[in-house]
Amino acid sequence: MHIIGLDGRRKQIVNAHRGVSNIRIGCFVALLVSAMVIGCSKPEQTAEGGMPPVKKIAAGSQYSGFLKDYKNLKPNADVDSDMLTYVSEDAKKNLRSYFAIVVDPIEVYVSTDADEKKVNPESRKALTDYFQHALTMAVSDAFPMVAKPGPLTLRLRVALVGIDVGGQSADAPLNIGKLGVEMELLDSETGDVIAAAVDKANLGAGAEVAAGSVSRDEKMAAARDAFDEWASRLRAFLDSAHELKGPDIEKADKAYKPY
Amino acid sequence: MRKLLAITCALALSCGASAAAENKDTTTFHAYVDSDVCARLMLGPITEARIECSKKMYKSGSNLVIVRLNDNTVFEVNKTKLVKPYLGGFGKATGVAKASAGTMKLESFMSELVTDIPADAPAQRLLDVRTYKAKTTDGLFEKIRHELAMIPYITTFDFISFTMIGNDVILTGWTVRDTNRGDAYHRVKSIPGVGNIVNNIEILPLGDADMAIRASARAALAQQLGQYFWSNGSDIKIVVKNGNIILLGSVQTKEDSDLATIKCNSVPMSFAVMNLLRIEPPAPKNKG
Repeated sequence: MHIIGLDGRRKQIVNAHRGVSNIRIGCFVALLVSAMVIGCSKPEQTAEGGMPPVKKIAAGSQYSGFLKDYKNLKPNADVDSDMLTYVSEDAKKNLRSYFAIVVDPIEVYVSTDADEKKVNPESRKALTDYFQHALTMAVSDAFPMVAKPGPLTLRLRVALVGIDVGGQSADAPLNIGKLGVEMELLDSETGDVIAAAVDKANLGAGAEVAAGSVSRDEKMAAARDAFDEWASRLRAFLDSAHELKGPDIEKADKAYKPY
Repeated sequence: MRKLLAITCALALSCGASAAAENKDTTTFHAYVDSDVCARLMLGPITEARIECSKKMYKSGSNLVIVRLNDNTVFEVNKTKLVKPYLGGFGKATGVAKASAGTMKLESFMSELVTDIPADAPAQRLLDVRTYKAKTTDGLFEKIRHELAMIPYITTFDFISFTMIGNDVILTGWTVRDTNRGDAYHRVKSIPGVGNIVNNIEILPLGDADMAIRASARAALAQQLGQYFWSNGSDIKIVVKNGNIILLGSVQTKEDSDLATIKCNSVPMSFAVMNLLRIEPPAPKNKG
């Protein structure tokens, strides 16, 4: 056993790693400040701030154009759905080379015949917030979420594609009956595509999303089910990509010796 | 303002409730004061070698922990100053222990000798060398080993180990993913014949510095010792915790082991390298 001693940077690094009590105090103060801000301010009038603009699928195109590349997508026999997937087989840059994820704000593409300007920002926020939550719940135990890009970290980009606007009024619900999902996992530092998936299953048939309308609760529940299912399909895809296969089974078995 | 008041009241109530719950769960148990590395890798009885390991690894930068003797559960404690004088020794620990998280809010620690622990106390069972020599006859060890080797989300940065006391299993080690901790437990639990399981697998923090250290260490080792790395795994495991690098697994020669230490010691931001690599020369090939 070889042990290399400490150097003079120890205190500095320990402080950097162990500022738990400071973080706790900071969190408590932040919570109080947030509570004051929430308590004293009016409800947010617009949900547009900070969200990427709504885009439209080009007429006649099969995909939205959200992914960097579609040509490598193929049906995946290991996934129990019609999902088209791509996984990098580069020995140095594949899914197993990463373990944390930073999630980009979810983008929205309306269907070709819909008007992207009529998308209600609050409905859209409800929709993307829920899907982000569903994705986090589905994958975070296998891919812990981190706040910013960095080493060993993937960047998850997701788009909801094919949203329809249910009517002309400002609070018209968003129809997700023909919705599909496109997503890709990139190296968060270089932008290289590590994996991608397109899921066009119409899971949201009959579901609508609108902000603050009790009468639409049933349709919102159907939408939540659809988003949960898309999220669990992403997890199933990641699980299948991590499953040991072929010669890796023997290598892993041979290499593992408990202490 | 009403909302603010409501939130403040809710916070105060929840704080009070949690404090009450914590008081309710205060426990006292016999414990051994150990270093994190030895507690998770040397699961046998408390021998002279174990005590030496505890002291040596603590000096090398490993954290202080306490090991509950009743079941070998490892706890990180909030007040390390309370236990530091008793490193390599025994005591009665009192506080709020959360076995699922492997943490304990320590209230007091009273030093004691092994002879102070009653002969019929469960803690004595884990101090008895003979307990660890109990062999299973049904290949249970190999079944558990194989199941743990097949966990899909294990990477170069995770190491899970285990030991058996009769048919009871103590899982231990470090992982960067929550799912591995649960998966290991459920896989072992599903094997017929396995008794109780203590899950000492620690979820490692994902701080920026540790992430950078992991990436740099893997890159440095894969460059010089590429034969031990393949696309979906590696013979060398790199456990990074609070700036410390622990090297586990196996290499074929002492030179490779030394090279691994040298390469990791040059990783920016790391301050200690604990090399626990096993040296296992390749089996000679049969001629004819």
